[in-house]
Amino acid sequence: MAKKTTSVLPGFKLTLGYTLLYLSLIVLIPLACTVWKTSTLTWDQFWHTVTAPRVMASYRLSFGASFLAALTNLFFGLLVAWVLVRYQFWGKRFVDALVDLPFALPTAVAGIALTAVYAPHGWIGRWLAPLGIQVAFTRLGVFVALTFIGLPFIVRTVQPVLEDFDLEIEESAASLGANRWQTFWRVTLPMLRPALLTGFTLAFARALGEYGSVVFISGNMPMKTEITPLLIITKLEEFDYPGATAIAVTMLVASFVLLLTINFLQWWSHRHHRPV
Amino acid sequence: MSVEVLNVTKKFGQFTALDNVSLKVESGELVALLGPSGSGKTTLLRIIAGLEFPDPGNAQVLFYGEDVTTIPASQRKAGFAFQHYALFRHLNVFENIAFGLRVRPRPVRPNEAEIHARVEKLLKLIQMEPQARRFPSQLSGGQRQRVSLARALAVEPKVLLLDEPFGALDAKVRKELRRWLRRLHDEIHITTLFVTHDQEEALEVADRVAILRVGRIEQIGTPEEIYDNPASPFVYDFLGNVNLFSGRVRDGTVVIGDTKIAVPETAGESDSDAIAFVRPHDIRVTREPGGPATLAARVIRSNAAGPLANLELVRLDTGGQFTVQLSKEQFQQLQPKTGEPVFVELRNVKVFADDYSI
Repeated sequence: MAKKTTSVLPGFKLTLGYTLLYLSLIVLIPLACTVWKTSTLTWDQFWHTVTAPRVMASYRLSFGASFLAALTNLFFGLLVAWVLVRYQFWGKRFVDALVDLPFALPTAVAGIALTAVYAPHGWIGRWLAPLGIQVAFTRLGVFVALTFIGLPFIVRTVQPVLEDFDLEIEESAASLGANRWQTFWRVTLPMLRPALLTGFTLAFARALGEYGSVVFISGNMPMKTEITPLLIITKLEEFDYPGATAIAVTMLVASFVLLLTINFLQWWSHRHHRPV
Repeated sequence: MSVEVLNVTKKFGQFTALDNVSLKVESGELVALLGPSGSGKTTLLRIIAGLEFPDPGNAQVLFYGEDVTTIPASQRKAGFAFQHYALFRHLNVFENIAFGLRVRPRPVRPNEAEIHARVEKLLKLIQMEPQARRFPSQLSGGQRQRVSLARALAVEPKVLLLDEPFGALDAKVRKELRRWLRRLHDEIHITTLFVTHDQEEALEVADRVAILRVGRIEQIGTPEEIYDNPASPFVYDFLGNVNLFSGRVRDGTVVIGDTKIAVPETAGESDSDAIAFVRPHDIRVTREPGGPATLAARVIRSNAAGPLANLELVRLDTGGQFTVQLSKEQFQQLQPKTGEPVFVELRNVKVFADDYSI
C-alpha cells in the first residue's frame, strides 16, 4: 500500500498492525494450534480418523442440513425482509424485533424450546405425529434447528438493500411492459443477488458451527443424527485430543474452501453492481 | 390523433398536485411541461405513463382516442425516461435496450435475430454501438440517459415521456444532449412530452411549452407565443430575468415616477395601480436625457464578463434597483463608470395589475 506517499487518512500502520494482532490472537493462533495438535498423528492415523464411517455420516448431515437450512432461509428470509420493507401493517415493529431473537437467544434455550414443541407430544409435534412426520430426534429436527438459527442472517442482510432499492427501477421495468412477476424475476431479484449470497454464506457458516441447539433436538444417534461438532466434543470427552483436532481441521478446510467459493461467486456477481 | 388528458385532479393527502388539468399533445409533437418544483409537472407525466392514477372523477387519459385511464403502466405502451436513468445495472447496454422486447408475451415476442436487429438500430441512433457490452456503471451521465431513451424507444411506444431528462447532467453535456434530442425528434417524430424546470431548455427544444403553476396549466403555446405574450406575471417572470417598476395605468399609458410610457393595450383600462415588467435587454441606456419616456438613474455596478454586459442601476427618484443587459458593443460605446448618472428608456413594457409579487 502507501509506502512513501502520504495518505489523507492517518493511522494506516497503527490500524493495520492492530488488525493483524487482533486477527492473530482471536483467529489465526487458535486455528494454528489445532493444526499443530493434529500433526502429532501420522498420516494414516489422521486419514483413518477423519474418514471413519461415523465421521463421514456426520459430515453429510452437517453440510447437508446446513446447506438445506440456508437454502430454506434464502427463500423465507427474503420473504420476511420483503414483507417488512414493502408493506405497512400493525405490529410490524414487533415482527421486526422477533427476527433478531435467534441471534440473542442462548442456543441451548432454543434447542430445548424447539425440542419441547416438536417432540411427539409437543404443541406442533402432536399434530405432525399422526401424519407420520417426526421432527424431534431425527435429521429433520437438525434441519429445523439450523433453519431457526440462520434466519436473521438473510433477513438482516437483505433488508437494508431492499430499503435502499430505487423504486424507479421497478417502475421503468413496468413502463417497458414487464408484468410484476417479470419485474421481480428479471430486475429486483438480480439486484438483490449479492445481498442474498452474503446472507446465505453467513447462515450456512453459522449452521456449520452450530452446536447448542442441535444437540437437544437431534437425539445424537451415531450414524443418524450426529453432527460433526458433536463428534468433536465426544472425542474431547474421551481425551482423544488429536482425534478431535483432526476432525476439526478437516471441517475447517472444507468450510474454508466453501466460503472461498461463495466469496468468489459474490465477487463475480458483484462486478457491475456499483451504484448507477 | 393525439395524446390527451382531460380534467385530471390528483391530491396527495392535503396537497393538490394537479387541479383539473387538461392537455392535448398532437401526434408527432414535442411538448415541454415547464414549471417550478411542486407545480405538478412530474405528477402529470407519471399519470400519462400510468405510474400514477388520477383521483376518481371525470378524469380521462386518451392515447389516440383510446381510453387508457385505468390501464396500468405495463400495458400502456408509454416509454418513460427517468431523471436518474433507472437503468438495470446488472444488464449491459445491449440487454438494457432489449429488455422491453424480451418481456413481451410469447406470441408477440420478436425472435433473437429481430431483437438483435432492433437493438443494433437503436444503438446506432444513440451513437453507442461500441459501448454495447458495457455496463451502466461504466458509462458517463449523458451516455446513460441516451441508453435510457433507447430502452424506452425499443418497445415502439405510443408516446415518449421524459422526466427532467437532462436534470442530472452538467451544463455542457446538457446543452449537447438537448440539441441531440431535438434532432432525434425531427428524425423519428414520436409524440413526446418532457418535463423541465429550465425555461431555456423548454424554449429551445419544444414545439410547444405548457407552463404549470401549483397544479394548473398557466399558459400553453409555442415558445415565441409565450415568450412574447406571457399570459400572466408568473409566466413573464418564469421565462427569464425581469425588472419590476410599480406605477399607475392612465389613458393608455403607464406612469412610472415622472415618466410616461405609452402602453396601447391598456387603453380601455381605468386609472389603477399597476406593475410594469421589463426585460433587462429591453432597457436602453444613454447619457443624454431623452424626453418624457426616460428615467434618471445611477450606475452602481457593471460586469462585462461573458457575451453580454450586465449593469446594476439605481433609480434616482425612488432608490429602486434594476438590471440592464447590454451587448458587448453597446457596452464599449457607453463605457459606463460606477457612480455615473445615466438615463434609461424602457421598451417592450408589459403591464399587469398590481396583485402579483415575486
